[in-house]
Amino acid sequence: MITSVKKLNVDGVFSNSYLLTLENGNTLYVPKDEANTDYQAILEWVADGNTIEEAD
Amino acid sequence: MSKIKLTGHGSGSGTLTIQAPDTDSARTITLPDATGTLLNSDGDGSSLTGANANRPNAKPLIINGSMAVSQRATSVTGLTNGSDVYVALDRFGFNEFGSPSSQHTMTQESLTSGNAYINGFANALKMDVTTAQSSLDADDSTMIIHKFEGQDLQLFKKGTANAEKFTLAFWVKSTKTGTHICELFDKDNTRTCSQSYTVSSTDTWEHKVVNFPADTTGIFGDDNARSLDINWFLSAGTNYTSGTLQTSWGGQDDTARAVGQVNTVDSTSNNWHITGIQLEVGEYSSTTIPPFQHESYGDNLSRCQRYFYKTSAVANMPFASGVCNGTTNARALLTYPQIMRANPSMAKSDNTHFKVYCGGTSVDTTSVGFYYGNTQQVLLYVDVSSGLTDAESCLIIDDSGANAYITGDAEL
Repeated sequence: MITSVKKLNVDGVFSNSYLLTLENGNTLYVPKDEANTDYQAILEWVADGNTIEEAD
Repeated sequence: MSKIKLTGHGSGSGTLTIQAPDTDSARTITLPDATGTLLNSDGDGSSLTGANANRPNAKPLIINGSMAVSQRATSVTGLTNGSDVYVALDRFGFNEFGSPSSQHTMTQESLTSGNAYINGFANALKMDVTTAQSSLDADDSTMIIHKFEGQDLQLFKKGTANAEKFTLAFWVKSTKTGTHICELFDKDNTRTCSQSYTVSSTDTWEHKVVNFPADTTGIFGDDNARSLDINWFLSAGTNYTSGTLQTSWGGQDDTARAVGQVNTVDSTSNNWHITGIQLEVGEYSSTTIPPFQHESYGDNLSRCQRYFYKTSAVANMPFASGVCNGTTNARALLTYPQIMRANPSMAKSDNTHFKVYCGGTSVDTTSVGFYYGNTQQVLLYVDVSSGLTDAESCLIIDDSGANAYITGDAEL
């Protein structure tokens, strides 16, 4: 279960990667690739009304 | 040596040569009472029909059917509602629907005896019930799952007039005897087909050969997406059992997917094991099924690493090489051993397990992240408190405790 998703920037530019945090506390670095099942889960999570956080 | 020469209207002839035996024993060659060609002119046997006809696939369609590879872990406890699918053996997951309360341990089991072992299988997937669920809610189900990319299934010609049948064979050992269900689930077209198999003797390895019909409806996508699942049910509530088992291909009807499935999770004494899994193109019986295609461990591992990769945990092991970017940051490239199915999700052990080796000194890391990547490599961004030399080359290494690891996950 996803609890949060944050964009990852490098030198101020979005790196096409997200930091995904799961309910069990585990974190994954997820690329913006529609064939990646974790990115598919992020898209479903957003479709359910959740919001991706901007990078720090 | 004796020869029989056959001549026709042309000048050429056909010769049948029989070599005289160099033994006192009689030799017998029997030609079948059938019409056909025994061998091609190059002797490759591709014109043979029957048990050991050449497969259309050079490699086994099932990856890790021998259960030899288990990169993530060799045993994981507490599998239950909400657990990750892939936890232990490569390419085989634990899947559940509803809110099952049963809990399981999945183990890569080493075999030393039994029918599966004496038929060449030294490893198996074992599911041990650690918390029983004797009463299933209607929407509860648990299963073992294997997923395929559509581009690997085109030889089944599914969805065409020439669609092929499927034969699934495997060794299974179950504490619970009776009817069990395995299922093919076409994810591209949301079509399913289920077949039953019977476990006759408790806790005894039995070989099952299960036939599935061809499906002239619904093609598999020719791409790297998930097109077909094989499901071996372990338990199924009435939402999956209240209909009539759908043994021909049809649209998804949950009530017809697992009719008759015994509840293998109703006691902590229950175990369920499987190995030697093969999927074949065409219809075979227990006497005609082609032999399991054993691969070397290296070949098997390589095919698994298209979907999941875990670095080895070795003291002081370098994972990636790169360059220092200032005194507190380094950037290093990690190349995967195989081109992965998709750009993978990356994970790692704790930051304290990694160091940056630069200019003869190892520096503790404060963060390790994965940013730009593709199916072949990923760039690590590593922060330290101080001590790096700008523009110096560096290595990202284990902290000498053999605890550091990095994983890339491109599972279906």
